Amino acid sequence: MATTTKIGLEIHCQLTGAKSKLFCRCSSDYRGKAPNANICPICAGLPGTLPLLNQKTVEFAAMITLALGCKFPDDIAFYRKNYFYPDLPKNFQLTQYNAYSITSIGVDGKLEYGNGKDARIRRVQLEEDPGRLVYASGSMDTSVYVLIDYNRAGMPLVEIVTEPDFADPKDVRMFLDKITSIIEHLGVCDTKLEGSVRCDANVSIDGGNKVEIKNISSFADVEKALRYEITRQRTMASREIQVRSETRHWDDARKVTKESRTKEEEQDYRYFPEPDIPMVLLGSEFVSFIRQSMPELPDTRKERFMSKYGLSAHIAQVLIGNKELADFFESTLMIYLSPKEIANWIVTDLMSFVDERQKKEEDKQYLLFAGLKVGPEHIADLARLVDQETINRATAKQILGQIVRTGEMPSALAKKMHASRIDDASVLAQAVQSVFQKEQAAVHDARRNANVANFLLGKVMKITKGTADPKIALEMIQKKLKED
Amino acid sequence: MVVTREEVKHLGWLAKLEMSDAELQRYTAQIEEIISYLNMLDTIPLEQVKPIAMKKKFSELRKDAPENFEDAVLGTRYRKDGFVKGPRMV
Amino acid sequence: MPLPLYTLEAGQVVEGIKNREFSAEEYISQLLGRIEKVEPKVNAFVTLNKEEGLNRARMLDKKIRDGEQSGPLAGVALSIKDNICTKGMKTTCASKMLESYIPAYDATVIKRLMSAGAIIIGKANLDEFAMGSTTEFSRHGPTRNPWDISRVSGGSSGGSAASVAALECTASLGSDTGGSVRCPASFCSVVGLKPTYGLVSRFGLVSYANSLEQIGPVGRTVSDVVSILNVIAGSDENDHTTINSNKPTYSLQERKGLRAGLVMEFTEGADPGVSKMIYNAADTLEKQGCKCEEVSLPSVQYALASYYTIATAEASSNLARYDNIRYGFDMNPEGYEWNSYFAKARSNFGEEAKRRIIVGSYVLSSGYYGKYYLKAHQVRSLLKHEMETLFKRYDVLIGPTMPILPFKIGERIDDPLKMYLVDIDTVVANLTGMPAISVPAGFADGLPVGLQIMADQFAEQTMLDIAYLFEQAAKVQRSSEL
Repeated sequence: MATTTKIGLEIHCQLTGAKSKLFCRCSSDYRGKAPNANICPICAGLPGTLPLLNQKTVEFAAMITLALGCKFPDDIAFYRKNYFYPDLPKNFQLTQYNAYSITSIGVDGKLEYGNGKDARIRRVQLEEDPGRLVYASGSMDTSVYVLIDYNRAGMPLVEIVTEPDFADPKDVRMFLDKITSIIEHLGVCDTKLEGSVRCDANVSIDGGNKVEIKNISSFADVEKALRYEITRQRTMASREIQVRSETRHWDDARKVTKESRTKEEEQDYRYFPEPDIPMVLLGSEFVSFIRQSMPELPDTRKERFMSKYGLSAHIAQVLIGNKELADFFESTLMIYLSPKEIANWIVTDLMSFVDERQKKEEDKQYLLFAGLKVGPEHIADLARLVDQETINRATAKQILGQIVRTGEMPSALAKKMHASRIDDASVLAQAVQSVFQKEQAAVHDARRNANVANFLLGKVMKITKGTADPKIALEMIQKKLKED
Repeated sequence: MVVTREEVKHLGWLAKLEMSDAELQRYTAQIEEIISYLNMLDTIPLEQVKPIAMKKKFSELRKDAPENFEDAVLGTRYRKDGFVKGPRMV
Repeated sequence: MPLPLYTLEAGQVVEGIKNREFSAEEYISQLLGRIEKVEPKVNAFVTLNKEEGLNRARMLDKKIRDGEQSGPLAGVALSIKDNICTKGMKTTCASKMLESYIPAYDATVIKRLMSAGAIIIGKANLDEFAMGSTTEFSRHGPTRNPWDISRVSGGSSGGSAASVAALECTASLGSDTGGSVRCPASFCSVVGLKPTYGLVSRFGLVSYANSLEQIGPVGRTVSDVVSILNVIAGSDENDHTTINSNKPTYSLQERKGLRAGLVMEFTEGADPGVSKMIYNAADTLEKQGCKCEEVSLPSVQYALASYYTIATAEASSNLARYDNIRYGFDMNPEGYEWNSYFAKARSNFGEEAKRRIIVGSYVLSSGYYGKYYLKAHQVRSLLKHEMETLFKRYDVLIGPTMPILPFKIGERIDDPLKMYLVDIDTVVANLTGMPAISVPAGFADGLPVGLQIMADQFAEQTMLDIAYLFEQAAKVQRSSEL
């Protein structure tokens, strides 16, 4: 039963990178503050107040616009979306709107997100977040009154709307990962903060009616919600029941999409331009300024890693997949320039020590390397030791295993270990002797064929349980071969 | 009829204005008269005229520097633990 | 027998107090006495600021005694329209929806006036949320015309104009969205000015129609109005619609050799008694060396429709925030579902406010945007273009401020459209953002007539030049002893 699925996304990203709210001077750092302790007359919608557009938010929104390959209009405007709701201080939301003319910060873009796939971006716009409703008894249905906190009201949001270009929830996941990587690299939003990125989705199958899914609390849940909804729609189709065009809510606890509660008269938002905010001129100078001053995008960084440092596409991809890794890598290079070596240490060895939980989206709260006591200086030091052949790779791995817990510098630890290794020289000589005695045929062959020495080396490594330094062992073997 | 009683009622719902039947009756007649007057706008051939708009430069926008508003903002006495108390949602 | 202190102009008050001819406390006390005497007849005030007013007066007196610097308006007593936010002082907009509202901040204009040493003597009555032309839509009762208390004072800044005309304050601050400063100024025979849009900050002005309105001074003389304008004008970082420029200062000068265009559509649409006064005014100007010629502004015929579309549309949205949740009047939200609470609370708007909210919602509703709102904005462009063309040949445009004489209270209250029609001469300045002033032109049948003078954007000085020229020549009475 082949079905064609069309999925579109509406992503909201809080510009936590800005220091103040979208239209007022209140701090954007509202999380954890007492209710209504982070408000002012403007964001509380007091009479006589006027919106004051934050320059930084326009800059950030423009960066996102460029990153998604969108076009800029000549100027941008804000519109009022008029409706009543207890979390809306003015009973209208200040947002952007393109139905009459293009006034949102970005339109008509495209983003490649992996496996040669891309998705079209319909628009990028700025808008404000509403306040927060809390229920004393814990649920909307049983509370006799609602509690309202306006701390979040007026927070700047960038909304990214895609065309329904996704055919598979897995693709959506890849796309969202790419988006996360981009906004982290741009520094506009700390995606680890709760609720800083949200995603609504719309789904239709086989050209049927479109269903909107709202209230998905994290990017990780988007895939789940989509899978559920697609199954629901397919089931209905198989029973020849028509899917209704509606908005459904994702119930995170029961992992299902539910019909929306209220059946209201048709809403009419009566959009019109906000008279208190003059149109803001952009122009080519503005676009150049943004292009020049914005942080490096992940794809550009990946290209640079490959061309400048000769990294493989795979390794480069892993590094930029998480900005922290890429930053760690470049910080290490500033101390000691050995790109391939260092990249490997980070991607393969260091990552193995990261708590499995940290790697999972849902539990990502802290920096990847938060639990480890190593920094770029440690890896730089380690790489240098290996490059200079002061220690072998096996020893280096051992050292790493220890210093992630102690924070000791590798060279200090290596010195300690080398001291003990001098004592091992005689042990090694004995091991070589023992192998020569046991493998006389091989020894005989080795005198004629240099390559066979490797076989002997293998035996020595086996006896010493891999602790022997292969270089030194091979030297001893070759020396001994010449002697007898 | 330019504006019906039903339309006025729906607009009242949109604008969250409770009106008595008497009010609805009175307003519908008055609003109809007003809208009829405003309908003259439709007769003017103005397709070519561009509305004038005030424009601002990017450099004139507010700088991103946070400031705490020190005085009390909210004027209702219906509060609980700092929250504002509002009517129930359902 | 010297004239009572309350008859003094602003300049005389400032000088008198500075030179210690009388104290600020004396002055304010006299005013308060005057208010007590005439308020029952005029009803210009919503709130009086007796204690604080006297305190500030005493503080000013001490400052003077200590030889400290005092501001350009030191001792001037102002009534402030009750839709302009005054920190710590009730600001009701004459509405139940803001019955107990005490603002947490001062409007920018208030901050500037206080810095200049002005004393706020009270909040002036208005039509609810500034929507009206007679101050009859106030829940505190109408403000009565000091020249004939059976008649309207004009609106929506009726309290402002009446308090000035009745000698209850030195001067006043009102707001003008479609004529709300000029209309009552005309009806009460005082001077009222609407600045160019963007000249004066609207931060703290409770919005009715944000793309049209400006705060404007009302005084008994052009000089008083200029003094206040000089203090309040200038860009404000808290209002992004103010124009970024150096702080302007205006002066009083009688300029000869200017040219005025007398707008036919205004004079022809006015009552005979009114147009006669205006033609007389034109003669006066001619004698003073200002040439007057009749001109035409054809798009005036669309002006009211454009105004009432835009104003109601913006109002319907601006008034949405009054849901009684964060401020308003005492009504416990417990026991209500939120839709019902909002609707019930908002049923406390007055009639005119409700009507405008509905009309505004109508013109903005789905499918009508192009038919009404967009068209209305195009009319603005049309009018602006026509006026700019005229301003190439004329320095100012003149005409009657109001097409009619002040009418009896209650006369038009049951006919909204008939009420709207009185704004025909004033809305043009709001639609185009251009400055306009009303100066007393004389009396017809014993009732005040105002001459309106309009100028190009930011050409306030030219407009004031003509206003001053006319005022000095016409010498019309502008205060009523009652």
